[in-house]
Amino acid sequence: MTDLPSIPHRGRLVDARLHLLDRQLLDDEGDPAGIVDDLELTDFVVDEDIPSGTEAPRVTGLLAGQVVATRIFGGAPPRSRLQEISWNLVASVGTVIKLKPTDMTLDAGWVERWLRDRIIKHIPGGQHAAE
Amino acid sequence: MGKIFSVALGILTAIGGFLDIGDLVTNAVVGSRFGLALAWVVVVGVIGICLYANMAGKVAAVSGRATFEIIRERLGPRVAAANLSASFFINLMTLTAEIGGVALALQLATDVGRMMWIPVAAFAVWVVVWRVKFSIMENVTGLLGLFLIVFAISVFALHPNWGDLVHQATAPVISEKESAATYWYFAIALFGAAMTPYEVFFFSSGAVEEHWTKKDLGTSRLNVMVGFPLGGVLSIAIASCAAIVLLPGQIEVTSLSQITMPVVIAGGKLLLAFVIVGIVAATFGAALETALSAGYILAQFLGWPWGKFRRPAEAARFHVVMFVAIVAGAAVLYTGIDPIMVTEYSVVFSAIALPLTYLPILIVANDSEYMGEETNGRVTNMLSSVYLVIILAASLAAIPLMIVTGGGQ
Repeated sequence: MTDLPSIPHRGRLVDARLHLLDRQLLDDEGDPAGIVDDLELTDFVVDEDIPSGTEAPRVTGLLAGQVVATRIFGGAPPRSRLQEISWNLVASVGTVIKLKPTDMTLDAGWVERWLRDRIIKHIPGGQHAAE
Repeated sequence: MGKIFSVALGILTAIGGFLDIGDLVTNAVVGSRFGLALAWVVVVGVIGICLYANMAGKVAAVSGRATFEIIRERLGPRVAAANLSASFFINLMTLTAEIGGVALALQLATDVGRMMWIPVAAFAVWVVVWRVKFSIMENVTGLLGLFLIVFAISVFALHPNWGDLVHQATAPVISEKESAATYWYFAIALFGAAMTPYEVFFFSSGAVEEHWTKKDLGTSRLNVMVGFPLGGVLSIAIASCAAIVLLPGQIEVTSLSQITMPVVIAGGKLLLAFVIVGIVAATFGAALETALSAGYILAQFLGWPWGKFRRPAEAARFHVVMFVAIVAGAAVLYTGIDPIMVTEYSVVFSAIALPLTYLPILIVANDSEYMGEETNGRVTNMLSSVYLVIILAASLAAIPLMIVTGGGQ
């Protein structure tokens, strides 16, 4: 195996697999907002030789969704199951990925919303913190 | 003053919280069959759980990440899902045993059959999980669990031959009626009872629930390092009671009434009343911890909002999972299965599952990206490696021994 070319860069080197995939996403209030299931990259051609001098693909966004089944058993989920979170919304990458404040509602939470509105809200005490 | 009080409270709840139905049943069974010849396993198990819980608590306090978030991140979704399935199943088995334990203790107190008590116990578990604040839940069950100290009092009240007891513990001999296979099978069961994985899920998630930071590490370390060993002393007291009364009488432990028999002989109805309060509190506390653990591990694996510090409406899936787990546990008990038998198997399966959580925690505790200055030191790592070998050996030997001995028969 040949070594990867070392390219001088500013900032911190992040391994997409190690530091991004399967990391917990937290919204701007610190509440869990899902898990990074995939990454969106700028276009590049698959299965063809890449001419030298081509710019390296960039990460444009994080993808999250209800795709744990295909993550476990393999296969590609329909793109509609994944929601893109633009890289511009990422506030920090650490032991968790924190997001900036946004108006976007994360689709990943539809089961949560359904259970909350149909069941949990109707049980006495469901809307108050424990005492 | 407030500091001393909170440390004392933490230690006392750790003692009460250490014991659950697994410790009660396994120690009594072992005491009635092997005397104190397996007391050394409790010592090994207690050191192990101190090391392991401390590491999980440290990881959670420093990085803010609970066990199963880390397992998914480190092992990837596929391996983590296999790990989750096994852990969830064993946790559910323990939850079933604990709810059964509460029902058995209430049956012993009231003479009303356990089938009547199962729904009451399950409903009570759900209400506490739904409404009661985390710290109150922990402190009340932990403190009432201290009534199990009655077992230690009973050992003295029974006026045993101390020399004989010490001899049993320090020079273990396998009696002629038992084989080496059953001896080692019960050694693994006792190890699994002391080191149940749910304690670690619960401990690390609890650290996040109570918003621990690096500042709380000293207190938590003290709670674990003092509280768990004292809990281990109570475990040995339970085994001693069985060794003094049940072993010479060749009485087999098949229900809670045999476990409490030495207490009745030592102190009559008064001590029995206290011990029943202790058993209800300890098993109820553990039922809460396992019910919460069911929600914690699934929510952490899937990245859902979780925790009792949120309003249930803000953690809807988490609460639904716990509700389903409690109902499933109660439903299994309604098949008429013997809770004591469920307990005996649950502790062995716990031992089998130990490496699944121990290894990822050990790896992350060594990752400076997560841990900063709190990364494991050399001494901790040396001890942890020794325990990794013990845990792996116990895990691998458990199933063959279970087959050979027919489940310890």
